[in-house]
Amino acid sequence: MKKGRLLALILAIATVALIAIGTIWPGPSAVALAGGVSLMQTSSTPEAAVRNLANEIGRRAWEEAYLSLENKGEFSEQEFERDLTGSYPSLRTYAALDGFQVLPQHATADQAQVELRLRWSTVVGDFEDRRNLQVLRSGGRWQPVWPLVKEPRVPPQVITVNYLRWDVIYRGPGDDWGAQDVETPHVRIVDMHPIQRAAGVVVLGELLNEDVVPAYVTVRATLQAKDGSPIASEGSFDKISHLLLPKQVTPFLIEFPGTSLSRVASIRMDPVSQLISASADPVIEIQNQKLNPAPDASFTGQLVDQSGEVVNIAHVLATFYDKSGQLVWVADRYMDRALLPQTPVAFTVPIPEDLARKISSERAIVATYSQDDRW
Amino acid sequence: MAAFAIHAPLLLMKLPLKSYDTNFHIFFASHYVHHWFNPWNAKWYAGFSQATYPPLPQQWVAVVSRLTGLDMAYMAVQFAGILLLALGVYRFAALWVNERAASFAALASVFLGSESFLVYSAGQLSTTCAAPLYLNALPYLFEWVRYGRGRSFFKGAALFTAAAAAHHATLLFGSMFFAIPVLALTLLDRHEGKPLTTLAFVLRTAVMTVVVGMAIAVVLLPFWIALFHYPVTQTPIPHPSRANYILSPQWGLNYFLVPYGALVLALPFIFLRGSAVVRLRPLLFGFWLAFMVGLGGTTPVAHLVLGRAFEVLTMERFSYWATLLALPFVGLLASELVSQYRTRAVVGLSILAALSCGLAVAWSSYRPADAEDFKVDSVAAWLNRDGHDNYRYVTLGFGNKIARLAVFTDASSVDGEWNSGRMLPELMKYGAGALTSSKYFGAAGLDALRAILRHANRYGLKWVLVRDPYYDPLLSFAGWRRVDQLEDNTIVIWSKDGVPPATAVNAPQMPPHWQGILWGTLPFGSSLVALLLVLIPDKRHRTAEVVEAATGSNQEFVPGRRVS
Repeated sequence: MKKGRLLALILAIATVALIAIGTIWPGPSAVALAGGVSLMQTSSTPEAAVRNLANEIGRRAWEEAYLSLENKGEFSEQEFERDLTGSYPSLRTYAALDGFQVLPQHATADQAQVELRLRWSTVVGDFEDRRNLQVLRSGGRWQPVWPLVKEPRVPPQVITVNYLRWDVIYRGPGDDWGAQDVETPHVRIVDMHPIQRAAGVVVLGELLNEDVVPAYVTVRATLQAKDGSPIASEGSFDKISHLLLPKQVTPFLIEFPGTSLSRVASIRMDPVSQLISASADPVIEIQNQKLNPAPDASFTGQLVDQSGEVVNIAHVLATFYDKSGQLVWVADRYMDRALLPQTPVAFTVPIPEDLARKISSERAIVATYSQDDRW
Repeated sequence: MAAFAIHAPLLLMKLPLKSYDTNFHIFFASHYVHHWFNPWNAKWYAGFSQATYPPLPQQWVAVVSRLTGLDMAYMAVQFAGILLLALGVYRFAALWVNERAASFAALASVFLGSESFLVYSAGQLSTTCAAPLYLNALPYLFEWVRYGRGRSFFKGAALFTAAAAAHHATLLFGSMFFAIPVLALTLLDRHEGKPLTTLAFVLRTAVMTVVVGMAIAVVLLPFWIALFHYPVTQTPIPHPSRANYILSPQWGLNYFLVPYGALVLALPFIFLRGSAVVRLRPLLFGFWLAFMVGLGGTTPVAHLVLGRAFEVLTMERFSYWATLLALPFVGLLASELVSQYRTRAVVGLSILAALSCGLAVAWSSYRPADAEDFKVDSVAAWLNRDGHDNYRYVTLGFGNKIARLAVFTDASSVDGEWNSGRMLPELMKYGAGALTSSKYFGAAGLDALRAILRHANRYGLKWVLVRDPYYDPLLSFAGWRRVDQLEDNTIVIWSKDGVPPATAVNAPQMPPHWQGILWGTLPFGSSLVALLLVLIPDKRHRTAEVVEAATGSNQEFVPGRRVS
């Protein structure tokens, strides 16, 4: 009996001990599933305080995150949430925190500077949100000071729009949805050349809509070996503006990961175009365009939505040329905040350092997505 | 009778259709209906082999569906599993405790929260069919090793093989949690009655292991070939059953409290009685290990025991096995309580049993796998008309309705719900589950979705059926256009221009014809052989002393067992 009781006691103690170990030092998957929460969380250092804040933001625990801030008296919880998720539906609204980095800058006994890099995952890709936080010691714990970015509010007003629009009358409802009795728009690749990058071959180019009607376009490229056999075939995916108004040009970039240019003898290009209804609205103006040299080479500017509707997501596609006007690179960037009418929003498109020196001019276009597009 | 009264109405209401995996099993069964001897299914992942998943329950569903249709066939097979469980628990418990306690254990199995959780919330047909077969095999293992009875050997081997044909993991881990305690019991009992020599024990155990191992190797040969050629190397997919249930209490509720129910109250008794009685200690150790592994990431045990498999397996089945191992103790406790407190104990136990079962059944409605129930008939009809099924499709925001849709449509998808069977590199690389739920897998899910959309032309992927506007921006920027809408504009169909018609892919993974013949013959045949062998009556043997279990003393647990 005594042995039995001892065994029961040992098993019970082992069970409790193992649960305690698993809870105090949880495994990576358990931490991930708990939204980064662990019992060892304290705010005993500036980094730990910012890390806790990032975990709370990741779990969308806005109240907890807001209450942990030192400067919460300066703004409301709603404003804090809007800063991170956007006042209008945008990429931020539906983004999920995929990870974060806490980088201490400098610290004294009572205050510290910490850079917080939040990596958000969205349906079109990741974006990074960098915030420099001051962290203040208050009693035995540290509290971050949140650098709030207030989105501008658009005052009530009437905006007159005057834009072109093309409507297409299709065949009757009894016909197949895809059958059209009008010719497809004429599009032409006006420039194309492949380059070798570390990740593989990249095919750059520009596509022109030569027609007088709008076109929905896409481009495919097939790399061919010397014997004519295909090596790989890829499409432009989102590295192109698919809607081309008459006489409009879009850059495109097609990636072939893991391939070598030395194997490529020729490239077959297949532009596809479809006639669609379209309008020139919303018109997005690009202001203050600037090429910034290396290091941290980039193309910066501001987007201004000149129409009266909110653009939920804007996609900047930039084409870079050398002195002779030859195409050097195509880069893009999605805007994580919505474009409000008549309100400038800054953008930055990074440029690869090794190509930055060759670039002397640029051209940018903007593709847009608005929620109202849905039928 | 209890099983019939409790589960028959729930199954007739088709409650499991709301669960996570029921439609997955029905989809597999629907393939066997049309292609019994060809495990290559072109409807998911642009083609995958069903030989990557043991087929027995789905094949039975396919057979029964000839009479009842697929949905009711599923319910019938599931009901058979529930009935077999009560029988299996009785026979397994009778190895450890007396007949009365074993009867209570069998009754408790009907109300078991984990069983109801797996049937109505998780929809794990294979696990809930394999476990009863395994439990029914264990007494034969005991009789063979302890007494050397030839009939028990054949019956046990046939049932073990059929259990593996239903679910291979049950056999693999069942050996650790169930068979080793039973073998330990034969050693503990070796001096009672006819003595068992160590040599006989080793030889009989080895013979059973080798014969069952060979039988399983042959019966599931296409499965092993597929596993050998295409091992599961894809990036692990997160699953909430691996959470720490204290740090994530919502998952603790889902994967611990609901499956265990009132059984939690019996834990002190299990520990105390299992430790006090030498004969029950192997069962206690088996239970404890399964219990700890079933706690997922709450302890480091699961990771230590399973290694990399921890990131591949889901943990709820371990809790299920733990509760099955607990049932002999529960039967013992119930027997003692009823003996001592009569009606009061009966009322109390009945209430606790009803609450456990009720909570697990209600859980499927309170936290359904499909947050929004919707019909996929119109989507299937759209895909099946006007040559739309010449191209492949993918759904977004359909949850586990993709299996239901796949049953109804002739079109092929690049998505699916059987992650271990998929071979498309875009899906294996990122550590996400079904594309239709990409956003719930964070960056990994969205990366996988973008990768597959990039290669739309390669797979003839022309249609994207969207029920969640979250994905609209990606489709819009990536060159897809809205072409139609269904169900009052709640489902929008997007199309891409210039996509060629779908052609067969993954050809190297396609099992040859001879494997199809084996797959259609041996697993199902193993269940028929098991059925026939079990129906052969046993010889009458002298009935050994019955275990009486009034209190926790060793003297009151007379070694031996009821002999059928």
